[in-house]
Amino acid sequence: MGPKKEAPAPAAKKKDTPATAAATATASAKKTTKPAGSATTTAATKVVTKERKEKVKSTALKAKQRVARGNQLTRNRKVYSKPTFRRPHTLRLQRSPKYPRRSVPKRNRLDHFAIIKHPLTTESAMKKIEDNNTLVFIVSIRANKPMIKAAVKKMYDVDAEKINTLIRPDGEKKAYVRLKADHDALDVANRIGII
Amino acid sequence: MTRVKCSKIRGKKPDELQKQLEELRQELNTLRVGKVTGSGGAQKLGKIRNVRKSIARVLIVTHQTTKANLRALYHGKKYKPKDLRKRKTRAIRRLLSPKEKSVQLKKIQRRQWAFPQRTFAVKA
Repeated sequence: MGPKKEAPAPAAKKKDTPATAAATATASAKKTTKPAGSATTTAATKVVTKERKEKVKSTALKAKQRVARGNQLTRNRKVYSKPTFRRPHTLRLQRSPKYPRRSVPKRNRLDHFAIIKHPLTTESAMKKIEDNNTLVFIVSIRANKPMIKAAVKKMYDVDAEKINTLIRPDGEKKAYVRLKADHDALDVANRIGII
Repeated sequence: MTRVKCSKIRGKKPDELQKQLEELRQELNTLRVGKVTGSGGAQKLGKIRNVRKSIARVLIVTHQTTKANLRALYHGKKYKPKDLRKRKTRAIRRLLSPKEKSVQLKKIQRRQWAFPQRTFAVKA
C-alpha cells in the first residue's frame, strides 16, 4: 500500500516512491501498462496496474471529501445564550396538490340575483321612496349589509348611502336602502317597475 | 321568451350559455317585481315557473358539459379529482383491487401448473 496522497493527483500515473515500484512489480494477474503521454522517463518505465490507479484515485477522493466535510470531533456548536429552547424555524412548503380535490369549484349561490328577491310596494314603502329617498327590498336572509349594497349597485346601478336591515316575523329580511343624494329614489323606482 | 329546451342549447358555447342565463335571471327578476306590484295577471304569473325551469335547464347543460370535458381531460391519469372517481360505496373502494387479489405465492403457482384440475370421463 502506498502512502496517502493529500493532494489529489488524478493524472498521477508516475509513482515516485520505491514502495510502489515493488507493489507494481508484485502486481496481480491483470497487469496492463497504461503509460501517460510521456511514458518514458529517466527511471525505468513504470508498469501501473488498473487496480493501483483506482486505489490512488479513491484515496485521493476520500481525502478531498474529508477536507470538505470537516472533522467530526471539533465541529462548530451553536451558542445558545438564552435559557429557553424554542423550536427552530423549519421549512414550510406551500401546497402543490397533485390533483384538485373538487374538479369544479363551487359556484356562488348567493350572487346578486339571489340576494335581492323583490322590492316592497306597500304604502309605507312608497312613503319611504318619496320622503326619505330610500328603496325597500326583501332580501335573502343570508345576505349582510355590504352584500346588499353591492347587489343593489350591480342590479340597479345606484349607490347606497346606508342600509338598515331587519328580519320580519315571517322570516324574511327587509332592507331599507337609502340612496345617495345624487340619486332619486322615485326615478329608480320607476325604472325598476314599482310605482 | 319561450321555454328553453335542453337539446337546443347543448350545442352552445359556455359564454353564450352564461349570457342566456343572465337574461333569464333578469326576466325572473322583473316577473317577481310584477308579482309584487300586482301588474301581470295570470299569464305573467304562470311564466314565472317556465323561467325558473329554463334557468335550471341552462345550469344543467352548463354543468354537464363542464363535467364531461373534465372527465375527458383526466381520462387515464393516475390522480383524478375525487368527484370524478367512481363512487360505488366506501367499503368497496377500500377492497383489494382484482390485480392485488390475484397475486399468488410462487409455490402455489408452481403447484397449480404442475397439478392442474383434471377432468375425466368414463367411456360409455
